[in-house]
Amino acid sequence: MATTAVGAAFLLLLLLPFCISISQPISDSHRSAASNLFTEISPSLEDAYEALRVFEILSIEKKPIVTKDTCEKVLENLGSSSSPLKDVFYALKVNGILKCKVDDAVFKDIASRLKATVHDASTLLDIYYSVGSLALIKDQASNVDVLLTDANGVFHSIKALSQSDGRWRYSSDNPDSSTYAAGLALEALGGVISLASSEIDQNKVSIVKIGIVKLFDSIEKYDDGAFYFDEKSVRGSEHQGSLSTTSSVVRGVAAFAAVTSGKINLPGDTILGLAKFFLGIGIPGDAKDFFNQVESLSFFESNRISIPLILSLPETVHSLTKKSQLKVKVNTVLGSDAPPLTVKLVRAFSTGAKNSAIIESKELQYDQESGLHFLDTLPENVDVGTYVFVLEIVLHDSESDKVYATGGQIHVPIYVTGVIKVGSAEIAVLDSDLGNIETHKTLDLAGNDVASLSANHLQKLRLSFQLETPYGRVFKPHQAILKLKHESKIEHIFLVGNTGKKFEITFDFLGLVEKLFYLSGKYDIELTVGDAVMENSFSRLLGHVELDLPEAPEKAARPPPPPVDPYSRYGPKAEIIHLFRAPEKRPPQKLSLVFLGLILLPFIGFLVGLLRLGVSLKNFPGSTIPATFATLFHLGLAAILLLYVLFWLKLDLFTTLKTLGLLGAFTMFFGHRILSYLALTSSKLKSA
Amino acid sequence: MAKLIFLILTLIPILCTSFSPDKPSDRRILVLVDDFAVKSSHSLYFKSLQSRGFDLDFKLADDPKIALQRYGQYLYDGLVLFSPTIERFGGSIDAAAILDFVDSGHDLIVAADNNASDLIREIATECGVDFDEDYTAMVVDHAGYAVSSTEGDHTLIASDDFIKSDVILGSKKIEAPVLFQGIGHSLNPSNRLVLKVLSASPTAFSANPKSKLTSPPSLLGSSISLVSVIQARNNARILISGSLSMFSNRFFNSGVQKAGSPTKHDKSGNEQFLTELSKWVLHERGHLKAVNVKHHKVGETDEPSIYRINDDLEYSVEIYEWSGTTWEPYVADDVQVQFYMMSPYVLKNLANDKKGHYFTSFKVPDVYGVFQFKVEYNRLGYTSLSLAKQIPVRPFRHNEYERFIPAAYPYYGAAFSMMAGFFVFSAVHLYNK
Repeated sequence: MATTAVGAAFLLLLLLPFCISISQPISDSHRSAASNLFTEISPSLEDAYEALRVFEILSIEKKPIVTKDTCEKVLENLGSSSSPLKDVFYALKVNGILKCKVDDAVFKDIASRLKATVHDASTLLDIYYSVGSLALIKDQASNVDVLLTDANGVFHSIKALSQSDGRWRYSSDNPDSSTYAAGLALEALGGVISLASSEIDQNKVSIVKIGIVKLFDSIEKYDDGAFYFDEKSVRGSEHQGSLSTTSSVVRGVAAFAAVTSGKINLPGDTILGLAKFFLGIGIPGDAKDFFNQVESLSFFESNRISIPLILSLPETVHSLTKKSQLKVKVNTVLGSDAPPLTVKLVRAFSTGAKNSAIIESKELQYDQESGLHFLDTLPENVDVGTYVFVLEIVLHDSESDKVYATGGQIHVPIYVTGVIKVGSAEIAVLDSDLGNIETHKTLDLAGNDVASLSANHLQKLRLSFQLETPYGRVFKPHQAILKLKHESKIEHIFLVGNTGKKFEITFDFLGLVEKLFYLSGKYDIELTVGDAVMENSFSRLLGHVELDLPEAPEKAARPPPPPVDPYSRYGPKAEIIHLFRAPEKRPPQKLSLVFLGLILLPFIGFLVGLLRLGVSLKNFPGSTIPATFATLFHLGLAAILLLYVLFWLKLDLFTTLKTLGLLGAFTMFFGHRILSYLALTSSKLKSA
Repeated sequence: MAKLIFLILTLIPILCTSFSPDKPSDRRILVLVDDFAVKSSHSLYFKSLQSRGFDLDFKLADDPKIALQRYGQYLYDGLVLFSPTIERFGGSIDAAAILDFVDSGHDLIVAADNNASDLIREIATECGVDFDEDYTAMVVDHAGYAVSSTEGDHTLIASDDFIKSDVILGSKKIEAPVLFQGIGHSLNPSNRLVLKVLSASPTAFSANPKSKLTSPPSLLGSSISLVSVIQARNNARILISGSLSMFSNRFFNSGVQKAGSPTKHDKSGNEQFLTELSKWVLHERGHLKAVNVKHHKVGETDEPSIYRINDDLEYSVEIYEWSGTTWEPYVADDVQVQFYMMSPYVLKNLANDKKGHYFTSFKVPDVYGVFQFKVEYNRLGYTSLSLAKQIPVRPFRHNEYERFIPAAYPYYGAAFSMMAGFFVFSAVHLYNK
C-alpha cells in the first residue's frame, strides 16, 4: 500500500510542471520521440506490432521496421501449426497493419485451430488470444468463417472468472484477482460478442456493464484530477505498473463498448481524468510505455462513452511589455480539432485575493486560421502578478455535450510579468542621534554608478529606493536582499522592507558592531531585487562603505574562518631541496705542505746530528746466527712501520691489527733473541 | 556432468568481470526508484549507463526483497537512489547499510527533490551535504532562470557555474546551461572531501517560491550547491543532486535559454553534464594506479636494502589512468616524490616520458635514520595515490671517511718521520760502538 501511495505522490511530483491543471495534447515532439524510440529492428512480433501501431496512430509516414522481414515472420508464424497463441495473435495484429499476403487457406486453418482452443481453453490468456485472433481474422479475411456457434458458452466461461468487485482472475485455479486481467477479459468479451453467430443474452451483457462500473469504483485519483488504475496484488509472475494496468482497462472497456448497444454509464470526468493521466506521463522513454500511452489515448479519440477535450495554453507566462495575448487551445487527446465551441473565461483572480475577481465572464474569440481561442487584451486592472484564470469550454451543439467530456471549470495559473519601475534610489550616511544627513548620494539603479562612502560606528547608513508596477501600483518583490560583504569575504544579509512604494533599510552601526564582528574596513554593498513577475530583476553593486569600527573587546565572537578555495587544496607543493652541512674550513694545501716540510726538518736534523757524532754500527754481531736474528728483528720493525704506512694508505683497522699481531710476535721473538745476545756479549765484555 | 562443467567454465569469465582493482569501473548497479515510472521517464540517463556496459537492476525502494549484500559479499558495485520520497527502504537496507556500502569502496548516486524524505537527507548529511532544512524551500533564481513560456515561478534554473575540472566533467566544454529544478544544499565546511560541481548563481536563493520571505534565506548565492560530489578516502565516489528531474528525459531533450542571455540552445547541457559526471562517479575516469615503484643508486639497477648518507639515487614509478576499458599512461607534470622522515627532507617533481613513467634522481640527505619514499598525489577529481616505501639511511662507515686530507699532512709527516727516526735510532742505539 505504501508503495502505491508514495508512488502516486511521486509520480504526481514528476508531472507537476506538466499538469498543475493543464495537460498538453500529443504533439510533434511526441512524433519525433517515437521516431527516435522505435528505430531498432524489433526482435519480436509483439514489439513490431507496438511500433507499427504507434506509427499508425500518430500517422508518421516513415515506417519503423523493414516490412519485408516482418511480413516473412508473420507468414512463418501463421503457417506453422505449432506456433503459440500469443505469436499468432500478434502476427495477425501486424498483418492488420502491414497487409501481408496471407492465403485464405492459412486463415481457415488457423481459424479452425483457434475455434477448438476457445472451447477448451481454461485460462483467461488463452481465451483472450484466441478470441482476439479470431476477431482479427474476421476483419482481415471476410470469407473465412470465424463465427462462434457457442458464443454464449464462451461468454459464460470468461464471465465465470470475474470477481464481485469487477476485477478478473487469470484462471479458475488462481484465486488472485487482477485489474489488468479485467481489461483483458473485457476485450475478450467484446471479441466474443462480435464473433457471435446468434444474439448474446442481453442480461449477461448488462451484468458485465455493472461489473465495469464496479471496476471503476476502485479507480485512484491524483490531486490534479488524473485518474488511474493500479494493480493491487504484486504477487504473480509479472508486476504490472499503473500505466499498463490503466491502459489494459481502457483497451478492454473501449473494445467492449464498441460492440454493445446502449451506453456504459461512466462519468465524463473519469474519462477526462484517465486521459489526463496518460497525457501527464509526458513522453515515456520506454517503448512499451510509449505504446500503452499512445494506444490508450487513441481510444479517447473516438469512443462511444465520452471523448475528452483537452484545454491547453501554449503560454502561461504573459508579458505586459510584449502585450502578448492569452491564447487557449482546445483539442482532442491526439491533437485533432475539437467540435465548434467557445472558451469562456469565467473569472480571473489574483492568487493573493481569491474572492475578488478581476475579470468576470468573458468569451474568448476564436481564430479560424490558427485554431486558437484568444483574449485580445488583458484589462487595465490586470497588473503584474500571479493569477488564476478559470476557463470553461462551452460546446455550440447541445448534442455534443453527451459525446464530449470537457471537465467543467478549469483553473489555470497565469503569470503576468512586466518591467518594474525602479527609482528614487539614494544612499546616505546619517548622524546617529540627530539624524542629520552627512553624505548623501543618489543612485541610478539601472546604471552602473557606484557610491563610495565612509562611516564610523556612531553613524547610520540608509538606503532607500522605490518600486512601482507598470500601472503605478505598489510592488513588493519576492527577493529584496541587501548584502554587506567585508574584504575578508564575510557576508551579512539583510532583507529590505517597505512602507508603501518606498523600500528603506537603515543600518545603525552601533547596534550592528557585534554582528559585524568589529571588523573595520571596506564593505561592498550589493542589492538584489527579483521576483517571478519582474522582468528586470537585478543584482548589482551599489558601492562601498569604509567602516571604522571600535576594537573588538576580548569576549567578542570571532569572525568565522573564510571559506577555503577548494582548488588551492590540490595544487602541487613547493619543492624542498635538502641543505647539506657545509664542510669544515681547511687551510690551503700549500700551507699544509710548507708545514709538512717544517715537520720533516727535525728528522733531517737528527740524521745530520748522528753523522756529525760519527755513529757507527760496529757492534753489529759478526757471527751468522745473531746477525740473522738482528736482520730479522730490524726487518720486523721495518715491516711494522710499513704496516702503519699501509694502514694509512689503504688497510682498515682489523687487517692491520691482525697483521700487527703476527708481525709483533715475530719481531718480539727475534728482538728477544738479539737483545739477549747483545746483553750476553756486553756482560761478558764487562766481566772480562 | 560435462554440461555442468561447461556451464561453470562459461560462467567464470562472467563472474570475473565484476569489480576488481584491475578493472575499477563498476559493473553491477542497483537502481532504487519510488515508482517504476522513473525507469521510463529517465530512460535516456539509464540508457547511457547501459550502453557503457553497466548492468542496471531496477527495484522499488520499498521492495522487501532488496539487499545490498549476501553472505558478506556485496551484490552490487554501485547504488543509484532515485527515490527521493522514500521514508524507509525495504529489505535490509537502511542509512547505515548504505554508508557501509560506501565505506567498502562502492559508489553512490543520490537524487533528492523538493519533497526529499528525512532518510535521504540523513544520507546526504552523512556525506557532508546539508540540504535546506526548510521542507518547502526550492532554489529560486530570479535572474538566472531558464526562460519558459509555461513555468513562471523561476524555480527552473539554468545554471552554468561548473567546477573547473576536466577529469570530473570531461575535456569537452559544456556549452549549454544545465536545467535544474529542486532543492539546494550547502557543503559542510569541515568536510574536505566534498566538492561543488554545479553551483547556483550569485542571485539565487533557497526559499519557498510561493510565500514571501520573512527572514533572510539560509542558503544564498553561489554558496548554494546544486550538484556535489564526494570522493571518500577509500576512493568511493558519491554524487548528490538536489533535483531528480534534471536526470529526466524531458530535461535532457528540452531546449534552454538562460534569462538575459540572447543565445537559445536547442538542447540543455543536462545530458552531457550528467553523463560525463556519471563516468567520473562510476570510475571510468580519474582512477589512477601506480605500479613498479623502483629506486636504486645511480649507475646500479638493484634496489639496495639501505642507503648511505650523500648517496645519489634514482627513483621511478609508473602511473596509469583507467579509461573505462584499459589502463592508459597518465601524463602530468605535478607528480612529486618526498624523501620523508617526520617531515620531508627532499620534495621533488618527477619528470615523465609521456608514457606513464615518472622518474627523478637526488642525493640522500646527510641525516641518517629511517626514511620513506612517499608519493602523495591528491589532485582534484583523481583518486589519491599514496605510496610509501621505507628505506633506512646510515652514516659513513669508519673507513668511508676521507683518508688523505691535505690539511693533515703535517700530522702524518710528523708521525712517519717519528717512526723513521725510531727505526734509525733503534739500529744506532743497538749497534753503535
